[in-house]
Amino acid sequence: MIFHIGYLILVTATVLAAFGMIAGFVGGRQRNVKLTLSSYHAVYAMAGLVALAAAILWYALLTDRFEVAYVWNHSERALPVFYKFSALWGGQAGSLLFWLLILSGFSVAAAFFNRRRHWAIMPYVNAVMLGTSLFFAVLLVFAANPFELASFVPQDGMGLNPLLQNYWMVLHPVMLYIGYVGLAVPFAFAVGALLSKRLDNQWVRTVRRWTLIPWMFLSAGILMGSQWAYMELGWGGYWAWDPVENASFLPWLTATAFLHSIVVQEQRGILKVWNAALIWMTYFLVILGTFTTRSGVLESVHSFARSDVGPFFLVFMVIILFGFLWLLFKRLPLLRDEQAIESYTSREAAFMANNWLFAGIAFATLWGTFFPMFSEILTGDRISVAAPFFNKVNGPLFLLLILLMGAAPLLGWRRTSRQAFRKQFTWPLLVGAVTGVAIWLLYDAGYPAIGLAACAFAAATIVQEYVRGVQARRITSGESVPAAMGNLWRRNGRRYGGYLVHLGIVLIAAAVIGNEFFQQNTNVTLANGESVTLGRYEIAYTGLEPNRKVNHVEYGARLMIFDQESGKTLGSILPRRNIYDKTPEQPTSEVGLRMTLIEDTYVVLNGWETGGSTATFTMYINPLTAWMWIGGLVLVLGTLIASWPHPGRRRSEAADSVAYAVGSAGD
Amino acid sequence: MIKSRTNQIAIVLLVFLAAFVWLGAGPISAQDAPTAEPAGEVTLNDVNEVARDLWCPLCSGVRLDACELKACDQMKDVIAIKLAEGEDAASIKDYFIEQYGPQVLGEPPREGFNWLAWILPFVALALGGVFLWRQTARMMQPAEEMSAADPGSPPPGAEKQAEDDYARKLDEELAKYG
Repeated sequence: MIFHIGYLILVTATVLAAFGMIAGFVGGRQRNVKLTLSSYHAVYAMAGLVALAAAILWYALLTDRFEVAYVWNHSERALPVFYKFSALWGGQAGSLLFWLLILSGFSVAAAFFNRRRHWAIMPYVNAVMLGTSLFFAVLLVFAANPFELASFVPQDGMGLNPLLQNYWMVLHPVMLYIGYVGLAVPFAFAVGALLSKRLDNQWVRTVRRWTLIPWMFLSAGILMGSQWAYMELGWGGYWAWDPVENASFLPWLTATAFLHSIVVQEQRGILKVWNAALIWMTYFLVILGTFTTRSGVLESVHSFARSDVGPFFLVFMVIILFGFLWLLFKRLPLLRDEQAIESYTSREAAFMANNWLFAGIAFATLWGTFFPMFSEILTGDRISVAAPFFNKVNGPLFLLLILLMGAAPLLGWRRTSRQAFRKQFTWPLLVGAVTGVAIWLLYDAGYPAIGLAACAFAAATIVQEYVRGVQARRITSGESVPAAMGNLWRRNGRRYGGYLVHLGIVLIAAAVIGNEFFQQNTNVTLANGESVTLGRYEIAYTGLEPNRKVNHVEYGARLMIFDQESGKTLGSILPRRNIYDKTPEQPTSEVGLRMTLIEDTYVVLNGWETGGSTATFTMYINPLTAWMWIGGLVLVLGTLIASWPHPGRRRSEAADSVAYAVGSAGD
Repeated sequence: MIKSRTNQIAIVLLVFLAAFVWLGAGPISAQDAPTAEPAGEVTLNDVNEVARDLWCPLCSGVRLDACELKACDQMKDVIAIKLAEGEDAASIKDYFIEQYGPQVLGEPPREGFNWLAWILPFVALALGGVFLWRQTARMMQPAEEMSAADPGSPPPGAEKQAEDDYARKLDEELAKYG
């Protein structure tokens, strides 16, 4: 009964979303107060209904109601409660409901926080958010009903995909969804600005934070996914350029470009068409990404979910593509640039180069991801486009991007004088050059020397900016170094938080280079008590340790790690194989990991014989990998500082919006 | 004008040159490593040295040395046999391409239609660069050519009045019900 009600709630939500969307569009166009108000109420009510539907599905999962096909397929009695809870997004229908739940949350937040501002734009924002909700509600009602009942009541469920029974895999999709879905808000604002013809810089100023926060979640989600791949998939890497990974990376690229190019519009009143187009591409890539992962259109290790949602997505994507293009063309005359670019050595020119590279990387990634499909259709040959392609095509572009990331903050708006050039670039260039030469001499390796030199250059520019900022504050106010640093963040968080984000990216890039070029590995079969030498370590196998858990058995192979030279014990690790009761043919791997700031010792247990008398391992030394996760934390911290409302700025924003809302009522 | 045209051509040529030097340089790491010598016993490391450059033909984006499918284990057995027979990495790779098609390469083969995969990103980048260059050059011309548009200003007259009324009413209603 309750599950019928669940479905009925979804049907009601669909109707409500359709009504609210129309109310928003018509209300905004006719300036009809009642309809506009209805669009707000529809947003709130929609969120309530979706939350109720999600609560019912959670209830079914947590109380083992296997008569619900979704619960039967994605849970089991013995599944730990934590994973029962996360099974909501472990399969197709549930994850679409989860998408809708987060979207509703964002819709409420956007409507609530802007209810007294942007009166011309907001009805359209509500309409676009509800339009997106409508699409997902239609999917749930017609193509992927999470409340569908099985024809009998099974005794137990089939279990959650073992690969998803991992701490990171619980967090990673949540982060990714928040990032993905949140990017609908800036798109809704762009559509609102275009429809209401409010095309000054106000909407851009507002969406900055609404883009920055989802961007932060998306970044964190991507990194957590990498962490999961690193810990679970056991091939020594963290990123395979798999189509599903690319699906999350594509909107990240365009959103990053957007975050940069809106600065130019704010400061100089240029790139208006481009900004609108960029956020449209980002939104499109979000939907495209959801489509590729949900429809199984591109085969990949992640595509565990396939169903008949494909045609719905295609229709929706066509609407987004052509609807927005039509709107943009109609508004082109209103999107003239207000000022000109004065020099190629200006910050605005650097921002344009940044966008050029991001767009180039996004295009290459999109092209490579879909190329196997084109190739198969046109030539009949199946080919695979994996890491070798993406590394070769995107590698040099990323290198240019890092160089630009170092150079751009040193350029002035409008133009940079020769003198300023010398003052700004001498030290960072020197640091970069010394690093490059040192690595070349030490390791005789060209590509990593160039890559790490670029990283050192970019890092040096950031350090230089901080040193100068702190010095300036100390001279004017005599503050201590930590106080000066705190004040830099508090008073100019956008700039100095942004630098921290850049530093995070530099650290991640250094980790990628370390891993890509200096990884060592070996495959060995060791008898109990035997050891092998890899890099600076001696690694000894001391026996198999089986361990019964609730729904699986863990087989761990104990390894002791010694310093090869001194013989000192450095630690012990336990690479494991988990054999799940429900899916014994699909054992999962948990790597054994000893992480240090210099390098990770990373061991995969491949198999064992006769109760563990011998065991086979793949062992890797992964240099600098820890910096990837540290870089991720720095990036999140930097984004938080950059988006934190600054007391002074908040006042001026409030004043702006009041002035904007009342127009020039006084004249 | 002539100067800017020359610049554009130079950019396109440079991007292409860079792309071809890069692509022509071939893979950076493992493929340049010497092939395992068949002398003596073939170890797991020798097999994986070859397998690192091949990709599972059944999965997407999984390297052969890391793949745990039965089919991939069999492929690794074939590598071991061929290494023991004294074949080198290149000929083993050719054998698998013949058997399974270009899927085992992990990248589009540089021939026929598949060249497009490699070229198009750089063409797009070059065209984008030219477009950007032209736009920037156009914007750097004297300022009077740029008309001072002010699209954000509210519309004048009666319509303006209507909008103000709407904003006021909406604010009142939101205060009551929002």
